[in-house]
Amino acid sequence: MNLLLSAPRGHDLSEYLFSLPFNLYGKAKKVDGHLCVTRDGLEVYVDGEKVDGYRFSDFEEYACEQLIGCSMMVGRIDDTDRKCICAFTNDSFIAFAELCKIINHYLTTGIMVEQSDLEEPKCPKCGLPLDGYSECPYCASKIKTFSKLFSRVKPYKGVFAIAILCTVLGEVLNVVSPKINQILIDDYVQPQNTSHWLGFAALCAAMFLIVIINTVLNWANMKASYYVSLNLGQDLRQDVFNKTLELSMNSISKKTAGDLINRVSNDANKLQSFLTDNGKNAVVRVLSLIIVTVIIFAMNWKLALLAIIPIPIVLVVVKKLYNVIHMYYSRVWRFSNAHSKLLHDALNGIRVIKTCGTEKAEIEKYRAASEKWAKAASKAEIVWNLIWPFCDFMLTVGNYFVIYFGSLMILQRIPAFGTLTLGELIQFTTYVSMLYTPLRWLMQLPRQLADVSVSASKVFEILEEKTDVRDDADCVDLDIQGDIKFDHVFFGYKVYNPVLKDITCNIEKGKMYGIVGHSGVGKSTMINLILRLYDVTQGSVSIDGVDIRKISQKSLRSQVGVVLQETYLFEGTVLENITYAKPDATFEEVVQAAKIAHAHEFVTKLPDGYNTRVGNKGYTLSGGERQRIAIARAILHDPKIIILDEATASLDTETEKQIQEGLNELCKGRTTIAIAHRLSTLSNADCLIVLDKGRLAEMGTHDELMRRKGVYFNLVMAQRKTTKMRAANTNMSPRPAKA
Amino acid sequence: MDNNTLTEEKFEIDRLTILDCSKLRFYKDEGNFISLEYDGKTYFNVRLTRLIPFYSDTTYISVAYDNEDGEFTEIGVIKDMAELSEEQFKLLDEYLKYKYYMPEIKKVYSIKDNSRGFIFVDIETTSGRKTICIRDWYSNFRMLSEKLLYAVDVDGNKYACHDIDSLDRKSLSILEIYV
Repeated sequence: MNLLLSAPRGHDLSEYLFSLPFNLYGKAKKVDGHLCVTRDGLEVYVDGEKVDGYRFSDFEEYACEQLIGCSMMVGRIDDTDRKCICAFTNDSFIAFAELCKIINHYLTTGIMVEQSDLEEPKCPKCGLPLDGYSECPYCASKIKTFSKLFSRVKPYKGVFAIAILCTVLGEVLNVVSPKINQILIDDYVQPQNTSHWLGFAALCAAMFLIVIINTVLNWANMKASYYVSLNLGQDLRQDVFNKTLELSMNSISKKTAGDLINRVSNDANKLQSFLTDNGKNAVVRVLSLIIVTVIIFAMNWKLALLAIIPIPIVLVVVKKLYNVIHMYYSRVWRFSNAHSKLLHDALNGIRVIKTCGTEKAEIEKYRAASEKWAKAASKAEIVWNLIWPFCDFMLTVGNYFVIYFGSLMILQRIPAFGTLTLGELIQFTTYVSMLYTPLRWLMQLPRQLADVSVSASKVFEILEEKTDVRDDADCVDLDIQGDIKFDHVFFGYKVYNPVLKDITCNIEKGKMYGIVGHSGVGKSTMINLILRLYDVTQGSVSIDGVDIRKISQKSLRSQVGVVLQETYLFEGTVLENITYAKPDATFEEVVQAAKIAHAHEFVTKLPDGYNTRVGNKGYTLSGGERQRIAIARAILHDPKIIILDEATASLDTETEKQIQEGLNELCKGRTTIAIAHRLSTLSNADCLIVLDKGRLAEMGTHDELMRRKGVYFNLVMAQRKTTKMRAANTNMSPRPAKA
Repeated sequence: MDNNTLTEEKFEIDRLTILDCSKLRFYKDEGNFISLEYDGKTYFNVRLTRLIPFYSDTTYISVAYDNEDGEFTEIGVIKDMAELSEEQFKLLDEYLKYKYYMPEIKKVYSIKDNSRGFIFVDIETTSGRKTICIRDWYSNFRMLSEKLLYAVDVDGNKYACHDIDSLDRKSLSILEIYV
């Protein structure tokens, strides 16, 4: 990322290592400011004047803070003292955050990085945000993208060729029909020639044959097209899905679940239909455009010119009108969407509406939304009905010229144009109207191409993305014992915002460790690093002395069991959910695991025992029951390392107690790392790791830490205070209502 | 901890504490942040929040700070900044305008839709003319009430037009399709 953007007035860029413009200073008024970094420190310029200067060491840390409507760069002296260095609108946030990261790096290591390795957050060409894409999907080379797309047809090229051949032949036959019509009219209808029945019958038979051949060709074409289309779609969806599961959490988390689902289904489907419809159409339409143009010019170039000249102007006008129609319909879509949202809201919250007695207000709201939608739809229909016939007329206006001048030619009124028979005129006008089909298609093409190229580049980006957490060529399958070591680990989900800073600790095998700290302090992040869902930014995490980047991911994760706060149950039976991590487990093993997890009892009470369907559409299990299934899943998995991430946080204390027994069984003799907000849950822990502001604050047993009266002591005290307050609240009698 | 403190803490959470404006003394500290002296106590780096930013800029302003454990602690709420002295009002108003920096839309020149979820809106604002790029415009470019138009661009910058009826006819006709 370029952090040397512009210099203050009267200065040269070469004077600085980095220089970023900012636009707010002091009051909420726009200024022309610059923050410049030299080897000695920072200089702040406003309107070309230097207004402030700092040495790097003036602050302990530099950071960017986002306010509501703008952001600022601050220098922190300690936990409470900080100074605002400059402020800017949010478009500059990432650049300033990156600059802070570089200066902080200099403060801790003494090394000044002169070039930021962060990728540009916005496309330099169009300015749209890249959102984690390596290449802007809107500006990616269309030719490159489409050639990649068409190369996917290769495995089905034979069948695809049949589809194209059938369509081309069909088009050729379409060109022949008007010629037969012309002969019929000129040779048989107009002269009222009754003596050549044989020729007439032959022509009729030819026309009939053309219909039959066309039907056969269409059938073959459809069959071949569907075959290619369905297979292509399946290949694309499968490849995108496979790749999605292969990607690291880092790449995945840059995209939302909705975005990924879109790519797997919608984008892939769009490409599928584009390839088979438009891929084939492109060949045929262009071909028919050329053939028909050549024919009409050969027949009469003057008439042909009359038919073609208005087309470019008409196309521009029609395109503009189409855009207007599009806008009106998107407005209808928006109102219909708002109406559905309201309906969804009201029906989902019907209990609240009834208990609050707000039926009338809701009915009024619904009426207003419904009316808005109806009005917008009616307006759009009116616009459509006004514009569309006009567009269609405009598009075919050339044909009217042809008919007018063609008729004059038949009557031999304009000798300069030559003569024409009635049959020829009909043939000519048929050809001219045949020009409009590919033209209409061509008119829609840019929008379709743009749409599909975006889908294509999104799909290919996933297919071609190199996963950043990948197995090294020399990675090993390790038989894990359970010793874990964090060695000066730095990590941040976003490079400019480190979550863990310089964490060094040893986790001994067979012991239970609790990670505690305020929320957002990096507890779950430590666990994510042990699971290698992410790679550390600096330092290393090792298991049994082997850096986890050298252990194959399959081997690592098959020996680590995880119980999360919310257990996700897949669509399927209880049995399938327990055996998820070990599909080859025997039923006896499953029951054994369920018994240890205290799940067997409730499962036997379910209507279909272990075959009861759970998940989204299945039997609804309580939070405690879900957790027990998760524990049974983990026990069956027989891991060497157990991770409990707030495993009992969402349960009441009674259920927690019951689950705890299952957990104790699970953790016996295994390295266990547990995160719990409720500190009492960690009373069994052999050692507690206390995190504070991303750093390791303390480590020791509960008693040791309580004696030390540090961060852990404060946490415990704060929690006791809350518990006491809750108790006080419960004991308090309700306030008397005001008269 | 004695019972008195417990009760005091409980009430802070339970009840809206309206601050007595005559006892408040805000001042700008060395770091350009606002600190407060109130009831004999000094609170550094107080957090000022408009509780109803879309309805009012100067009423119901929450005054809070982070305690030694980094927890959000509300001192109370200023019901109406007009009750503050002129100098105190100015100090807070300037800070809030800065925190909630949101240029006012004065005119809409054009809106271009790239048909892929983004719109580019060319606007005249109190901070000058700008073309803003809005993603997912159904959510980020909309009316929050009958009169209030609210826009958030791809960078997270916010823009508003508090009274859409005050715009000229051309701007309104451009907006009509989108809001």
